[in-house]
Formats: sequence, structure tokens, C-alpha cells
Amino acid sequence: MSSSEEDFSRNVFINCPFDPEYVPLLRSLLFTVIFVGYNPRIASERFDSGEARISKICDLIKCSRYSIHDISRIQSSRRGEYYRLNMPLELGIDIGCRLASKGILQSKTCLILEKDKYRYQKALSDLSNSDIKSHNNDPETLVFQVRNWFTELGLRNVPSATKIWERFNEFMADFFEARERDGYQDRDLEFMPVPEYMDFVKEWITENIRQVK
Amino acid sequence: MIVHGKILGRKRAREGLKMPKRSASSSPKTERVHVISRKDGWAVKKEGNTKASKLFDKKEAAVEGARKLSKGHDIIVHKKDGSIQKWERPEKKA
Repeated sequence: MSSSEEDFSRNVFINCPFDPEYVPLLRSLLFTVIFVGYNPRIASERFDSGEARISKICDLIKCSRYSIHDISRIQSSRRGEYYRLNMPLELGIDIGCRLASKGILQSKTCLILEKDKYRYQKALSDLSNSDIKSHNNDPETLVFQVRNWFTELGLRNVPSATKIWERFNEFMADFFEARERDGYQDRDLEFMPVPEYMDFVKEWITENIRQVK
Repeated sequence: MIVHGKILGRKRAREGLKMPKRSASSSPKTERVHVISRKDGWAVKKEGNTKASKLFDKKEAAVEGARKLSKGHDIIVHKKDGSIQKWERPEKKA
């Protein structure tokens, strides 16, 4: 297997909201994907004002065998707020890429996450016959769903979802303690770029998990 | 425009990111006791153990259980999202 094929088979395109309310879910999602040995690819992983966002997203979709699409923001949360269309758009591009391509891209596989189990059918009825998983805006449930999805795809020898959730909590303790020691303030954490967070996760897992697992 | 019920507001979501105030010293990692959210309640787990020591229905009871188990070491109380609500460190003897 060439290195690009190997990267392709380990890459997981993450299509999710980037609002502050989603941060706790995003943190547990990225932790779980890295914990089970995969490589999250996310639009916010690099920032180049000269790069068209849609081109970047298409590149990420094409280089990822797996995708996780969280469409839980298809309903607005308060009066006057727009519902989000980016996630359904990117989900459509991903499915289109799989259906319209030949070769390795036909092996693409995706997980669709929603807040509730059946709500999406009202807004995205074309997906009515698709299997999706719900997380109820709960990070623990999200860890369970994502971990179990990987095992349903054939991944074996992976710790239980409960164990991963416990490890995530232990990571959060070390994460906050180390960042505080390094002089990080609340707003540094609030606006921490995703690549920086992912580097912390990878470093922690290398130091604390790989030898224990 | 579809509007559904209450979700976490921005201010409350930000609170989950705040660092708890605590003293400078800390227990070795293997001695720390965590209070962790579980679907069916709250678990008390000593770091390094393979299983949680005990499960509680209420968080307050879990924190009390953690205090009994900690034997003078750090207790880390987590929020439902895994972030830190409170970090209890034992007083250092002079």
C-alpha cells in the first residue's frame, strides 16, 4: 500500500459546526477518532485566506476514506437565527464524490450524526432510508456512537466506549492543568485553534495510552 | 424559520471551558481520583485502575465517595462534558 493510500485509509473527514456550543462535542469527537488510531481532517486544520474554502473541503473529502457528518444544527436554536446549510452541503459533496467516482473513492464510508434519531427526516427526506446515529448533544453519547461505528466497520482490539470516555476525562484534567501551567487564560482555551488542540491530544495519547492499550 | 426548545446558551457553553482555580501542587497522576459522568449516574474512578470504584446516582454523593477513596490525594470533579468543574487538592502540611 502506498503512503497516499495508507493516509487515505486512515483519514476521517470531520464535517461539523464550529460554534462555541459545539466545542465540547468537537473535543470529544476529535479525541475519539485519534484514540482509535485514525487521523481527523477538518476544514479548520489550516487557515489560508487565499484558499477557497469549498476547494479545501473538496480536497479533504477526496483524501479521506471515512467521513463523520454532524447535521445536528439543521434546526435553528432561537428566533431569528439561521439554520446551518454547510453541513448538509458538505455531506452531499461527500456522497456525490463516492457515487460519481471510480476506484478507491468508491470505498468511502460515512457516519451521519444528528441530535435526535428521526428529526433529520423532516429536513433531509432523501436520507430517510439511511442509517444515522444520534448523540442528543451529549459528548459521552457521541464517544459511544463514534467508537461503535468504527467497530461496526471492522475495527477490533479497541477499548470499550466507557474506557475511552474515562480516558477523555483524564485527558481533560491533564490538558487544563498543563495549559494553566503554560500560562493559558480562559480565552486562550476558548479560541484555541483546532490543530493546536489536536496536537495536544496526539501527544497525550502517545505518552499515556499507546503503551497501556 | 424553525425554532426549537432551549439549548445551551453561548455564555453557559463558555463556562465549560473555564479553568478551575486551584493551588500549584498536585498529586502524582496515578493517585488522582476522578468523578466522571456516566449515562446511569456518576462514577468515582482512581486513575490507573481499570474499572470505576463505585457508581452513584447523584453527583454530590459521588464527590463524597471520592473524598473517602482519595486518602489525601487530588480529586477532580468533571462536568457532564468532561471538562473540569472543581479540582480539590489536599492541604500541604507545614
